[in-house]
Amino acid sequence: MSDGRKTMRVEITRFDPDRDEVPKTQEYQVPVEDGWKVLDAINYVKDHVDPSLSHRWSCRMAVCGSCGMMVNGEPKLTCKTALSDYGDSIRIEPLANFPIVRDLVVELEGFMDKFKAVKPWIIRAKERAEDMETLNEKGTFSQSPAQLAAFKQFSMCINCLLCYAACPVVANEPEFIGPAAIALGHRYNVDSRDEGQRERNQVFRGEGTVFSCSFANECSEVCPKNVDPAAAVNQAKLGAVIDWAKGLVLPKGGA
Amino acid sequence: MAGAAHPEAMTPRKKGPTRTAPPMMPATWWSAPRIRVYLLFGATGFVYLLMGFLVLRLAWALGRGPVAWEAALSSLANPLYILFHLIVLVSLIGVGVRAFGKMMPKMQPRGGPLPVLPPGAVRGVIYGAWAVITIFMVLVLSGGIL
Repeated sequence: MSDGRKTMRVEITRFDPDRDEVPKTQEYQVPVEDGWKVLDAINYVKDHVDPSLSHRWSCRMAVCGSCGMMVNGEPKLTCKTALSDYGDSIRIEPLANFPIVRDLVVELEGFMDKFKAVKPWIIRAKERAEDMETLNEKGTFSQSPAQLAAFKQFSMCINCLLCYAACPVVANEPEFIGPAAIALGHRYNVDSRDEGQRERNQVFRGEGTVFSCSFANECSEVCPKNVDPAAAVNQAKLGAVIDWAKGLVLPKGGA
Repeated sequence: MAGAAHPEAMTPRKKGPTRTAPPMMPATWWSAPRIRVYLLFGATGFVYLLMGFLVLRLAWALGRGPVAWEAALSSLANPLYILFHLIVLVSLIGVGVRAFGKMMPKMQPRGGPLPVLPPGAVRGVIYGAWAVITIFMVLVLSGGIL
């Protein structure tokens, strides 16, 4: 380049559902600047070389979880991954284990189905009006730091789905609920305000069971927020077993 | 991308209007060290299946009488059987270390009344129990006690 910037070869997966039978790879030469992230290179291609390129991104600060892609075969948040970590070339592909809608954009509805299945919200046995006696004077639930610490780590998930792209069980068992959804379900199971453990444990034991997880630990390795989904999945296994055992030996299943 | 994932992986229950390309597996899925460990972990299931057949054979020989039992035992001196037993031992230790050393410390419930122990403490307790049980079994089988 005449301005002295380093040029990098960027291979990007392209797929147009109207024209292509299968995804293909296209190469671009991108003049990169110091401090650029992988997302900057993709945006350069989109803005200056090929406006037809489709990809998702939003916050540019590793919070929204939109820009997850495979970078040289590893699931990464492209806004957080420095180009300087790679040599003169880089390969960018859509997230593995997801159907590809177009170029680097994957189908997320399958995840949303699994996400909704684990009921990721606080479930109370009583209606709010009857529940008032358990609330504090501000009309909210009191929670100790220890009670918060029990689930806080799992609530840090940004749904970037890197864990799904890394999980070999997700790749081979379509019913498996998957790391992020289980982590979020478990997050509510260990929340002191929640009373929906039984419902979620039934989901954890049912189709897509948590016991499909064979602890590859890939989800926790790639998680950009250190949520440790593998820990959540394995705690969920234990919780689901205890809940099942209670149902066998206690009157009314321990309810 | 290296190969196809399951064609239904992460597909929605209700198909959308847009045609999608099938899901693919990461290019490095088979070569990543972590995945290799995972594959070896799964492959030990085959070793245990073979071991199960061997145990059935021994039980069958036991039922046929002392002569058959002695013949079955002496056949175990074959170097191939010894090699197989070494593979079983390595598999058992590998799975035990993985299950007890990595999985169990993560399985501690964090919302209950019990304190969350550091992973090293959990591993220490489990490996200690494992060692005690192993020594006890060795002593029983060698005639040292009982």
